Amino acid sequence: MTANVSKERAGPQAAKAGAPREDGMSPALQAHIGRHVRAMFDEVADEPIPDHLLRLLQDLDKSGEK
Amino acid sequence: MPRNVSQELRDSLVAQIGSLRAFAVSLCGDRDRADDLVQETLFKAWNHLDSFKEGTNLKAWLFTILRNTYFSERRKRKREVEDADGKYAARLASRPAQPGHMEMRDFQAALVQLPDDQREALVLVGAAGFSYEEAAEVSGCAVGTIKSRVNRARNRLADMLELDADDSGAPRAKIA
Repeated sequence: MTANVSKERAGPQAAKAGAPREDGMSPALQAHIGRHVRAMFDEVADEPIPDHLLRLLQDLDKSGEK
Repeated sequence: MPRNVSQELRDSLVAQIGSLRAFAVSLCGDRDRADDLVQETLFKAWNHLDSFKEGTNLKAWLFTILRNTYFSERRKRKREVEDADGKYAARLASRPAQPGHMEMRDFQAALVQLPDDQREALVLVGAAGFSYEEAAEVSGCAVGTIKSRVNRARNRLADMLELDADDSGAPRAKIA
């Protein structure tokens, strides 16, 4: 059962998931990994930006140069 | 930064801070250090805005500054103290993952075990929204190198997490 792609489990993105790609990874698995990487990234990216980072640009603006 | 910075450019800078933070965390595994990195990146960017051509890829430019800052500091640090990768893994693993999300936690733990260059490539292409070409530009390497790093990263993650070719989550029974 290792190599075949079960379409009902893999969801819509796997519709095109026929043969494994040249790197040997099925599109379904690749999508699965992609979702996780994005989830981790977005978790941080979507946080409110700390004030000191926002202030930094204002301060730099005022001071002109370092 | 002697010249006037347009409001538009300033807004574009601010708009990238979230992504820069996420990229920094994925590189160094430490929230506080990540924010230091972002701060340094913004500082450098601001002081070198003259060298940025408006209308070109600001995001790629900023990401390049951030990763170069990180890797050059890391090289320096490595010479001083042998900062084992294990420490990094421990730091990241100790930060709370999404509550009750074992799968996410496992994934996170696996991601930190990837070599730096593979993790970087995977995050740039798989999460930050860069094309292979842009990621190659950010990392200062060939497009083919990025592609192979991403492939190796994915395959290694699949191995570590024992994911099946048809997998969308559940670990497979180990094939002996």
